[in-house]
Amino acid sequence: MAISPSEVPSLRKDRVGERPFRRLLVANRGEIAVRIIRACRDLGIETVAVYSDADVHALHVRLADDSVRLGPPPPTESYLRIDAIVEAARSTGAEAIHPGYGFLAERAAFARAVEEAGIVFVGPPSATIDALGDKLHARRLAREVGVDIVSGTLEPVAVERPDQASAIVAEANAIGFPVLVKAAAGGGGRGMRRVAKPADLPAALVAGSREAEAAFGDGRVYLEREIAPARHVEVQLLGDAGGTVVAVGERDCSLQRRHQKLVEEAPAPGLDADARQRLHAMAVRIGGAAGLRNAATAEFLLDPRGTFHFLEVNTRLQVEHGVTELVAGIDIVTEQIRLAAGLPLSAEVLRAAGQASEPIGHAIEVRLTAEDPARDFAPTPGRVTRWQFPSGPGVRVDTGLEEGDRIAPEYDNLIAKVLVHGATRAAAIGRLRRALDEIEIGGIQTTLPFHRFVAHSPLFRAGELSTSWIEEHWDGEADYRQAVRLAQLAAGVVALRDGSTTGVVTRAGARPSAAAASDGAWLSAGRELAIDRWPR
Amino acid sequence: MTADPGHPTDSSGMRVTVTAAAGRLELPALVIDGRATDVTVTGPDERGRAVVTVGGERGGERRTLLLRDLSPRPGMPADGILRREVVIAGWRVELEIEGERRAALRERASRAREAVAHGGPTEVRAIIPGRVLSVSVVAGDDVVAGQQVLAVEAMKMQNELRAPRDGRVTMVAVAADQTIEVGDLLVVIE
Repeated sequence: MAISPSEVPSLRKDRVGERPFRRLLVANRGEIAVRIIRACRDLGIETVAVYSDADVHALHVRLADDSVRLGPPPPTESYLRIDAIVEAARSTGAEAIHPGYGFLAERAAFARAVEEAGIVFVGPPSATIDALGDKLHARRLAREVGVDIVSGTLEPVAVERPDQASAIVAEANAIGFPVLVKAAAGGGGRGMRRVAKPADLPAALVAGSREAEAAFGDGRVYLEREIAPARHVEVQLLGDAGGTVVAVGERDCSLQRRHQKLVEEAPAPGLDADARQRLHAMAVRIGGAAGLRNAATAEFLLDPRGTFHFLEVNTRLQVEHGVTELVAGIDIVTEQIRLAAGLPLSAEVLRAAGQASEPIGHAIEVRLTAEDPARDFAPTPGRVTRWQFPSGPGVRVDTGLEEGDRIAPEYDNLIAKVLVHGATRAAAIGRLRRALDEIEIGGIQTTLPFHRFVAHSPLFRAGELSTSWIEEHWDGEADYRQAVRLAQLAAGVVALRDGSTTGVVTRAGARPSAAAASDGAWLSAGRELAIDRWPR
Repeated sequence: MTADPGHPTDSSGMRVTVTAAAGRLELPALVIDGRATDVTVTGPDERGRAVVTVGGERGGERRTLLLRDLSPRPGMPADGILRREVVIAGWRVELEIEGERRAALRERASRAREAVAHGGPTEVRAIIPGRVLSVSVVAGDDVVAGQQVLAVEAMKMQNELRAPRDGRVTMVAVAADQTIEVGDLLVVIE
C-alpha cells in the first residue's frame, strides 16, 4: 500500500541519545499498562494513566506520574472512548499515546484522531492499520511480494448474489473442503465458520457475513482452506521512519483454545536456520510492502510438510512480545517509543535482527487467566485473596494484579504472563515447572493447573505442537478430581486434629458452577461465545 | 497421590470420610473411607500454608496447599459445617467439613426432605457476576428444561442461562441492565 510522504514522520538521526518524549499517555489497563509505564520509566519519560471506576486503585494508576478518569467500568464508557483519551492527553500535556493491545490498539480511527490532535501515536500510521486490518488486502499484498498465502479467495464472496451460488461452491471445491469462512475485517475468530461440505456453504456465508457486519460494521467475507494439523508461527517485525523493516525473531503460539493463545515460545521449536531465514524474509517483504513503521507481527500457519502459509498482520504490540525480548535481548516497548519519535532502529535491534535466524536461548510464556480449565475455560471473575508470584533466575512475571484485587467481569481475564528463559528449550521447561510451583493464588480458579500439565507433558517437551493440542490432550475434569481427593484428605486431617470428633466427612463440589443446575447450558453458551473476546 | 479414580461419589459431589484409627487421635493413624492410609499434614501456618504427604514421610508424595476458612466468622459455625477453600496444584476446591455422626443424621434428614419436597420450587441463582442483558420469561410462563430464561454478559461474553427443569416461572427477580453478583436470586421455577 502507498503512504504519501507527508504522513510519514521523518527519520530523526539527530535526536539519537535524547529522551524520545517528555510525557506519554498509556491508553490501556492491567499488565500491559504496567509494562508500558515501566518502559517509560526506563527511558526517563513521565507517564499518564487512564482508568475506569473499576480501576481507581489499580497498580497502573499508582505507578503513573499522573492519571485521568475516563468513566464507568464498561469499556465503551471508558477505555474505548477515543474523545476522552485524546482529551486526557491534551489536558496533561502528553506528547504521545501508547495504545497497548486490545481496546483501541488496532482501530485506525483512534490512530487518526491521535494524529489529528498533533499527538504521536505509538504504532504504525493509521493508513497502515487500515490497510493491514483488511485481511483481503493483506492477502493480496503478500501474494504480490511472492509470499505463499493460505489458499482461498482474494476478493470478498458475493454473499448477496443467489445467482452466484453455484460459482461460489465451485470455487470452494477448488480450494478444497473443509473451508473456513472468514471476515475481511476479522479478528479473534468473529465471523468465522468452518464448513465441512458444499451443502452447508451458502448458510455459513450468510451467517458469517451477518456476524462480521454486527461486530465490525463490515460484512465482507472470504474463503480460506483449513490447514490441520497446523502450527501457529509468527514473526516480530520492527520498522523505522527511514523505511528499514527488520525481523527480530519468530514465536510459536500453537497452543490455542478457540483462537485464544495460552502458551507461546521463542524461537519456534524444530526450525533450522534455513527455514527461519526464509520465514523472516517473507515477513519482512510483507512489512516493507505495507510501509510498516513501528511494531507489527506477521502470522503464518506451518503445515506438516514444513510450508509456511501467510495468515495476517497484527499492527500492534502482541501480548506475547516478551518471549522475543528475552531471546533477542531487546526491549520492544522502548524500541516502539523511540521509533514513534522518529529515531532509527537501535543498534541492539539491528544486531538482534542479524542473529535472528540462529537464536541463542529459549523463552516460554504462559498466560495465567481467570478461567476454569476443568469447566471448558469458563470465566471465573472474583476477588483474589492470595497472590504470590514466582521469581529467581530466568523468570519474569508481567502482571498488573495485586493481592486483594478483584478480577472485573468487564475486562479481559488475563492475570499474569509468566515468562521463563533458559539456555535451551529443556532448561526453559525446567524453569517453567519451578516457576509454576512457586505460584500461590487463591480466591478464584485460574488456568494454573493447565499450565502445570503443559510444563510436565512429554509431548510438549518433544515439541509436538498443534493448534488442536489442547482439545486432544487436556482432560481438566480428571485432573481436578485428583486434586479434590487430596484436598479432602488434607482438610479432613486438619479438621480432625483441630476438632473434638473422631471422624469427619468432607464434601466437595460446592463451587458455584457445580452447584447450579443450569451449569451445562450456561457453560456451553459461554464456550460458543468465548471467541467474542477481543483479539490479543 | 494415589487417588482412586473410581471412587464412588454421592449426589452432593465427591465425599470422603476421614477417621482416626481405633478412636485414637494420634496422627497419622488415619482411616480414609474405611482404608488405613498414611497421610500427614504439617501446618497450616498463619498464612494458611500446609504441606500434605501421602504414603509416608520419606518417598511419599508431598504437596503444598493453601487453606482458607470461608465461614463468615472463624471457628465452628452454628450449623456445624466448616467451609474451607483449599488450593492444591492450582485447583481451587471449596469443601464442607462436618463431624461424621452429625453428617449421617443430616444426610438422612435431607433425603427425607427431598422425598417430600420433590417437585417443589427451584431457585435459579447467578453463578458468575455480570450484567443482565435480557430476560426472556415473565412470572406465569411455563418453561421446559433447557429453555433460555435470561442472558447475562460477563467478562465480555454473552452467557445464556437456561431453565434447569420443567415448570412454571413464579418469580423473576432481575431486569435487563441490572448488575448481578454470584448467588443472587434470578428466577424461581415451581
